[in-house]
Amino acid sequence: MPKIKKKRMGFVIDMTPLVDITFLLLVFLMFTTKFKSEAEAEQQFTITRPYASADTAKLPERDLALINIDIDDKNPTDTAFYFGWTNTTDRDTIRDTYPDLPDELRQRLQTEMLVRVDTNTLSHLIKATRAVNQNAVFAIDADKDVNFKYINTVINILNKNNQRVFNYVTQKRSGEE
Amino acid sequence: MDNASEKRGKAAKRKQKKRVGFHIDMTPLVDITFLLLMFFLFTTTMLKPQVMEMRIPPEIYAEVEVKASELLTISLLEDGRTYWFVGTIDLEKDPNNPNRPQLISIDSIKYLAFEQNLKPNVKNRLITLFSIDEKAKYDLMIAVLDQLNVAEMSIIEELSKETEENEQGELVPIQRKRRFTISVLNDEDKTRLTKTGVEGVSENVN
Repeated sequence: MPKIKKKRMGFVIDMTPLVDITFLLLVFLMFTTKFKSEAEAEQQFTITRPYASADTAKLPERDLALINIDIDDKNPTDTAFYFGWTNTTDRDTIRDTYPDLPDELRQRLQTEMLVRVDTNTLSHLIKATRAVNQNAVFAIDADKDVNFKYINTVINILNKNNQRVFNYVTQKRSGEE
Repeated sequence: MDNASEKRGKAAKRKQKKRVGFHIDMTPLVDITFLLLMFFLFTTTMLKPQVMEMRIPPEIYAEVEVKASELLTISLLEDGRTYWFVGTIDLEKDPNNPNRPQLISIDSIKYLAFEQNLKPNVKNRLITLFSIDEKAKYDLMIAVLDQLNVAEMSIIEELSKETEENEQGELVPIQRKRRFTISVLNDEDKTRLTKTGVEGVSENVN
C-alpha cells in the first residue's frame, strides 16, 4: 500500500469581508473629512459661536465671504474685524483686477488669507466682493461675548453697501432636534 | 519493521483527516457590522456650524409713519434683561398706558411673538423692532433672534390656514409678510425702560 502523506493544511481565513468593511469605512471617512482651510489655519484667535436652534441651513461652502469679529485673546478689550473668502478665486480677482483698492491692502492680499481690517477697509472689501461675485454670501462669524456695538457696525457697513441679506454663523444647540 | 511503519502510516492518515484546517463563516459578522455601520451613517450629524439668515430693511432717511399699535418692540439691555412693549414708551403723556414695558425671559419670546403677530387687528401687519443696547452680548442677541425665528415658523403655519383674496379675486392662503428691523437701543429709551419697566416680574405669555 503506497503511503500518501498529505501536507498539513493549516487554516484559511477569508479576508474579503474584512477588506470590504475597511474600504467602506475608508471611503466614508475620506468623503466626510474636511481639512482646515488656509484661512482657518491662519486664524490667530478662537471663536466660540453662539447657540441657536431654529435654522437648519448649513454654512454654504462656496462663494462665502466671512466677516470675523473676535475679541483678542491677549488683550480682552480689543475687538478686531477680519475678512476672508472661502472662494480663493474671489480674493485673487479682487487683488488683481479690482481698481479702487489701497496698495497696502493689495500687498497684504498676496499672502494673507484672512485679512485684518478696519471699518473702512471692510467696506471696500464688501463692495469689491459684491462686484466680482454676484453670488457671494456674506456671513458674520462673531464670538458670543462680542458686544452688539461691533455687530451693529458691520450691519451698518453691509447695509451701506446694499447687502441686506446676510447670515450669522451659529452652533447648533446640543440635545435639541 | 513493515508492520510498524504501516501502523504509523495509518495513524498519521487518521490524524490528518481531523486536521483539515477550519473555516469561519464570516457572513453573520459582516451582516451585523454593516447594520451598525448603516445605523451610524444615518444617525451621525457632523458638528458643523450653521447659519441664521437675516434680512434688514434698506436705509431710508424719510420719516415713516407707523401706527403705534402695529409696532412691537423687544429691547435687550446690557445686563441681559429683555423688555417688550407695543407702541411707544413715552409714558409722561399717558401714565396709565396699558402697554407699559414688561420684563420677559428670552425663552418666552417665541410665545410673545406668536401671540402678538396673530392678534386680529394687526395680523400680518405687525412690525417687530428689536432694539439692543450697544453693550449687550452677541449671544443673547442671537438667542432672541432664534426665538423670533422659532415663532415665525408657527406664525406662517397658522396664517396659511386662513385665506385672503388676491388681485384676481381668488381665495388663496395668506402669505406671511415679515416685517422686522434691528436697531441700537438709545439712551433715552434705556432710562425710560429702567424707570417704567416692571421690575422683577416676568410676564408669562402663553
